Amino acid sequence: MEYETLKDQWSDVEDRDGIRLSWNTFPSSRMACFEPGSDSFCKLTMIKEASRLVVPIGALYTPLKEKPDTPLLQYEPVACKAPCRAVLNPFAQVDIRARLWICPFCLSRNGLPAHYKDITQDAIPPELHPHSTTIEYRLSRPAPSPPIFMYVVDTCQEEDSLRALKDSLVMSLSLLPLDALVGLITYGTMAQVHELGYTECAKSYVFRGSKDYNAKQVQEMLGLAMSGTRPNVPQNPGRPPPPMSSAARFLLPVQQCEYQLTNALEQLQRDPWPVANDKRSLRCTGVALSVAVGLLETSFQNAGGRIMLFAGGPATEGPGLVVGPELREPIRSHHDIDRDNIKYYKKALKFYDNLAKRTAHNGHIIDIFAGCLDQVGLLEMKGLPNSTGGHMILTDSFTSSQFKQSFVRVFDKDSNDSLLMGFNASLEVLTTKELKVTGLIGHAVSLNKKSSSVGETECGIGNTCSWKMCGINPTSSYGVYFDITNQGGPTQHQQGPQKGMMQFLTYYQHSSGQFHLRVTTVARNLSGPTGDPAIAQSFDQEAAAVLMSRIAVFKAEVDDGPDVLRWVDRMLIRLCSRFAEYRKDDPSSFRLEKNFTLYPQFMFHLRRSQFLQVFNNSPDETAFYRHVLNHEYVGDSLVMIQPTLDSYTFDQEGSVPVLLDSASIQPTHTLLLDTFFQILIFHGETMAEWRKAGYQDQEGYENFKAILDQPKEDARELVQDRFPLPRFIICDAGGSQARFLLSKLNPSTTHTTSTYGSTSQSAQTIFTDDVSLQTFMDHLMKLAVSGTS
Amino acid sequence: TQGMGNLGVGGHPQQQAAPTPQRPQLNQLYPTDLLNQPLNVTELELPPPPIILPPNSSVTPSPQANCPPKYVRSTLNAVPTTYSLLKKSKLPFALVIQPYTSLHDNEDPVPVVPDQVIARCRRCRSYINPFATFLDQGHRWRCNMCNLTNEVPQAFDWDASTQKQLDRWQRPELNYSVVEFVAPQEYMVRPPQPLVYLFLFDVTYASVTSGLLATAARCILESLDRIPNADRRTRLGFMAVDSSLHYFAIPRDGSGSSETSMLVVSDLDEPFLPTPADLLVTLSESRQNIENFLERLQSMFQNANSTASSLGSALRAGHKLISPIGGKITVLTASLPTLGAGKLDMREDKKLLGTGKEGSLLQTGNSFYKSFAVECSKNQISIDMFLFSSSYQDVASLSNLPRYTGGQTYFYPGWNAARGEDAIKFAREFSDYLSAEIGLEAVLRVRATTGLRMSTFYGNFFNRSSDLCAFPAFPRDQSYVVEVAIDESLTKSVICLQSAVLHTTCNGERRIRVMTLALPTTQSLADMYASADQEAITTFYSHKAVERALGSGLEPARDAIQAKLIELLQTYRKELAGGNMGGGGLQFPANLRCLPALFLGLTKNIGLRKSAQIPSDMRSAALCQLSTLPLPLLMQFLYPRFYSLHDMPDNAGLSDEATGDIVLPPAINLSSASLAPYGLYLIDDGQTQFLWVGREAVPQLIEDVFDIPDRAQLKVGKQTLPILENEFNERVRAVVEKSKDHRSRGVGSIIVPHLYVVREDGEPGMRLWAQTMLVEDRADQGVSLKQWLGMMREKVVQ
Ligand SMILES: [Zn+2]
Ligand SMILES: [Zn+2]
Repeated sequence: MEYETLKDQWSDVEDRDGIRLSWNTFPSSRMACFEPGSDSFCKLTMIKEASRLVVPIGALYTPLKEKPDTPLLQYEPVACKAPCRAVLNPFAQVDIRARLWICPFCLSRNGLPAHYKDITQDAIPPELHPHSTTIEYRLSRPAPSPPIFMYVVDTCQEEDSLRALKDSLVMSLSLLPLDALVGLITYGTMAQVHELGYTECAKSYVFRGSKDYNAKQVQEMLGLAMSGTRPNVPQNPGRPPPPMSSAARFLLPVQQCEYQLTNALEQLQRDPWPVANDKRSLRCTGVALSVAVGLLETSFQNAGGRIMLFAGGPATEGPGLVVGPELREPIRSHHDIDRDNIKYYKKALKFYDNLAKRTAHNGHIIDIFAGCLDQVGLLEMKGLPNSTGGHMILTDSFTSSQFKQSFVRVFDKDSNDSLLMGFNASLEVLTTKELKVTGLIGHAVSLNKKSSSVGETECGIGNTCSWKMCGINPTSSYGVYFDITNQGGPTQHQQGPQKGMMQFLTYYQHSSGQFHLRVTTVARNLSGPTGDPAIAQSFDQEAAAVLMSRIAVFKAEVDDGPDVLRWVDRMLIRLCSRFAEYRKDDPSSFRLEKNFTLYPQFMFHLRRSQFLQVFNNSPDETAFYRHVLNHEYVGDSLVMIQPTLDSYTFDQEGSVPVLLDSASIQPTHTLLLDTFFQILIFHGETMAEWRKAGYQDQEGYENFKAILDQPKEDARELVQDRFPLPRFIICDAGGSQARFLLSKLNPSTTHTTSTYGSTSQSAQTIFTDDVSLQTFMDHLMKLAVSGTS
Repeated sequence: TQGMGNLGVGGHPQQQAAPTPQRPQLNQLYPTDLLNQPLNVTELELPPPPIILPPNSSVTPSPQANCPPKYVRSTLNAVPTTYSLLKKSKLPFALVIQPYTSLHDNEDPVPVVPDQVIARCRRCRSYINPFATFLDQGHRWRCNMCNLTNEVPQAFDWDASTQKQLDRWQRPELNYSVVEFVAPQEYMVRPPQPLVYLFLFDVTYASVTSGLLATAARCILESLDRIPNADRRTRLGFMAVDSSLHYFAIPRDGSGSSETSMLVVSDLDEPFLPTPADLLVTLSESRQNIENFLERLQSMFQNANSTASSLGSALRAGHKLISPIGGKITVLTASLPTLGAGKLDMREDKKLLGTGKEGSLLQTGNSFYKSFAVECSKNQISIDMFLFSSSYQDVASLSNLPRYTGGQTYFYPGWNAARGEDAIKFAREFSDYLSAEIGLEAVLRVRATTGLRMSTFYGNFFNRSSDLCAFPAFPRDQSYVVEVAIDESLTKSVICLQSAVLHTTCNGERRIRVMTLALPTTQSLADMYASADQEAITTFYSHKAVERALGSGLEPARDAIQAKLIELLQTYRKELAGGNMGGGGLQFPANLRCLPALFLGLTKNIGLRKSAQIPSDMRSAALCQLSTLPLPLLMQFLYPRFYSLHDMPDNAGLSDEATGDIVLPPAINLSSASLAPYGLYLIDDGQTQFLWVGREAVPQLIEDVFDIPDRAQLKVGKQTLPILENEFNERVRAVVEKSKDHRSRGVGSIIVPHLYVVREDGEPGMRLWAQTMLVEDRADQGVSLKQWLGMMREKVVQ
């Protein structure tokens, strides 16, 4: 099939099932596709080199991808007998007369339930319809409580920043479902839990900022345990009975406590404890979170809820502190971590990771909204959102529109006015026997569930077929990795081509208050005998690049940077060796099929990206970028890996995509760069001069004005659905902000090359020691054809 | 010194002639017979034997040169010159010091030396006083304590305010034995602290449902104008405690927010302050918001359901809050603290009562209370306990807090606001408490003529060093006892004892109240006995008995009282009565005739009485009173007042024409022999009043007093007399009220006794309780006065 046709097909699948696979034909056995050979690198790799495809079979899956036109099934799914539990799907063989179906995963025969008795060939239930590879059920199990929103607010902030945050929080109350439970914890030197159910005056429970409270202590200190209260208090007539759940004093339906909470927020003052000039504010972020987690843990275990942290600075007090209160002591950098010169890092990391584990176990979500020019400790705290499906939003200030708009977007709703967020989600993957799940990379934790689908090797979070994500939304995407088992030929006796299958079962608490199950069943052809070209043709280089990026980032979290880069290089070389056409030891003969050509470029940019080159960023930024990468689907991830660049100039209609190359910088061009995290408009030298001279306001220069305005409009378009809201930069050639653009460009015209005069003199010279794409490709071809990898 | 002339002092000094000590005739010994001349209770109202000093002992002829007994009383108004004589006499030598005689300065003003010129001896640091002498044309003065010659201060004769020469002989410190110096800068280690009250409310279920919180809040609210605040610096703080600590941040008036925030801390391990601001607020700056807060306080805890109190932790927190300044922590609690620091057990066991093991219940149950109190004392924090429990509260342990911090324990057993009498009593007392002009950051030191040494101190304070008693707050309703040792033979005819209280007034002024007592010396045992002060002696032994009871138990304490009395009677008989018992009688000097009855009263007091019926909390509370009550109230507590009302004289219960004071009927002896079956009586021990209605009281009397036609319908127990329009009712009420009047008796006190109506033929428990007041009767396990004296005689003649 033509590559373009295939691309369309994959795109259709993505639209329908929210899934992209690195390989769309599965090798029928290991031997079918894997080259023999040793791999000295395998010690460091998460995936043992079982996958000689080099790029493993992987799926980038977006379980809750919005499918407005698919009906929501209002009945319980029909499932295969235990332990398989696969859900009835279009690939099942149904014997209508015998009222039987054969599970394609385990080949068991299952009776159809009684109420399916009326189905005929022409009247089949929706889940059997060929288009129902993805279907969603609304389960009868109701959520234990309406969604919970616990705001955890840092009060060590400047007045204007706190003011802006308070405004955003008050406004957000109107975005919540009326029955949503809300709570408020504020913190600074100490942490305060506000008792919103108490109406006589403002009342809060105060926790020492320097102490590590365990869940039981939190429970006792908030009076959630029944001990210490009078057991047989006679009811006073005329007074309302005490609420059933004592936690209801702290978490109330927004419609009931809106006044009280608004008041509490309005009255919020800066942390009142004095701060010396040479000190940072004391901020007990750790205690505040631990109290929030403990509170929800006690009374709302496995009820969907999110703890939303609004941090105005780093934790400087108590458990989880990331920097001491002395200002002369700087917060750790990548260099400090590299040199192991870190005082608090490991302790803090351990503290937050434990907290993350507890939170995930309880089914709750932790979001971190940072509003601070400096770091707030995302590096240490990253486990909280990463393990619980929370958001991580890094902004300069709560006064910024970047924060305000991103925050509002969290509460986006669907056409039924339900919040576009799922709670307490888990994902289970079933496979036919050729395929084994090796792991998942994304915002989730293992549920440690063993099944026949679980492979022996591990890629990402492995050794399980089931993960808990807690927080999930329509864009949450997970990289799921597979291996092929080495077991002879197919044994099932079916007509048509043999298929390997996967089923993704996503359970989650819908914000409307009911549990849902989303089922996506994927079937792909198994390859023919060794050397079947179908395998190479089925390579989706975009999905593969994103799936490989996730592995690289996952490895970067535990391995040294250079090792990861070497691994990326090696995998690329080996992929090329395996799938390119060339004559051995003749680089000039090197050719890649169409569906492989972009892949080396992706890898080139990945190597240079902030995901793997961390030293130009703070550890917090690194944590943030990596967090976002692990959340997005293929398209957006690719933008992050290889930003898009568009050029605007005279004599052309609208924008033209140009190479992400320094050669694209021209004096009479305006560029629009989208790195996903930043949207940058760059005015070439001449454009900048003219603009400063004000030509755009003069008659006869409408054309020029359009070139200035068009990128802005296009940028607005880009930002429309972007979450978190990117940073918006407008800069001129030679301006300091231009460095954001230059750092992303292929250095085709570095100071080492430009002396040869091989490129246009007007092109921007980049001062960098990075190799250019051309050099990179030259090396790649040389190594790929040498067969020495 | 304006107005001094009006007081009839000043004038010309005695010319200092060569000292020719002319020994004056001291008090005569008047022997009496205790058995043949039974005690008449009116003898109790006699003043102590006068202090007879040689003429010209003082530097000015002022009649106020020597200390009046209402401030300082000595057990001996003639002091033996040697230790051996004192020992031989078996009499104690001690001072009973009551620096304040009222709750408010304007009720009993003391001359003030305002010019900050304070002449003190360089060696012994005594303050110049009327018994000092001047030398060298008045340029130098000789210390009457240690004889050192000191320079007279430059400004001693100069009035800085008028820039004029001053007449030295007008200076108050040379005319008055009791004066107050305004202290200059060097008497301060820090600027005078503002008055601070931290109120600690119990908000457990029991406390809230008893109405304590509501009543206390209302009372504070209504007393805000009475709290001393002349300098507008007075600060208030509020905390509440159950199983958690509740802090209240009260914003300043007009600061944007007017709402109090409640901050709850449940971490009892190491209590901390939840916010640095607004927990201790200036009354004048936050008046409106304090009022708002107090009005809402009760409703804030209307759903109280905690049964446990973490009082100790709350106190620690309160300490943390006010220790930078110091001040009062006023605790209002109805619970046994069972959580957190200093938690206590329910250790009272009914089976122990009346046994030898009872004493352990009177001791402290947790060392926290003493060590914490000492810590408070160091940080200038005084604690007052208002205790309200209807069950065991461990008063024994809790009372340590006031004991070492200059505070007081006020006990309201079984209090409930639903009973009007309870609510009114507490409200009146608490309001007076709040109005009292306490001193702050005070120390008491007593200096004396060379040869004398202050050996032991009794009272509520912390004995910081051998001769220094520390009072974070100086109360106005307590007295102190200091035992004096004679280390060297005294050669002077007059010795002096000078008590000085350095303190900060609640107006932020540093002052020293100085009380100088001069006493003649003697080498005669007869002089000693003739000048012995029976009430001061009883006060001394009351403190000793409390010490003994807490240390060794109740039985040893009672035994020691009895043994002391025997010893005194024996000594008198052997040394002064020539061993003569004179026809079966029991000889004792006239001025000591009340001693046996007072000692008997002491052994029968609820704090010490032999009984298996007295809850240990009641005992402990009584022991607190025995060791703090000012002398006049202590005497009444030991030997209550007893008035016959149905036949009171015509002038009783009416205003005296000359003074305007209500005339009380004559007191009668505390004996049931005095009770006529048709009579109406008032028995008043200063803490409780009993209105005794005889079993044959005529209906008219019942009707006149109680507005009830039939005695049978008269209910007994706590009540308030109805106000009726008949003369008898008015007079009875007037007597009942007058009997409570502390001011006329030269003491400050907040106590408002409950009035119980008792019917002779009514509820036996109530009747028996009233009868325990009849000290001269034989009752329960105690002997009658007659038996007591008979026993004494037996022991004495042995
Ligand atoms: Zn099955
Ligand atoms: Zn001296």
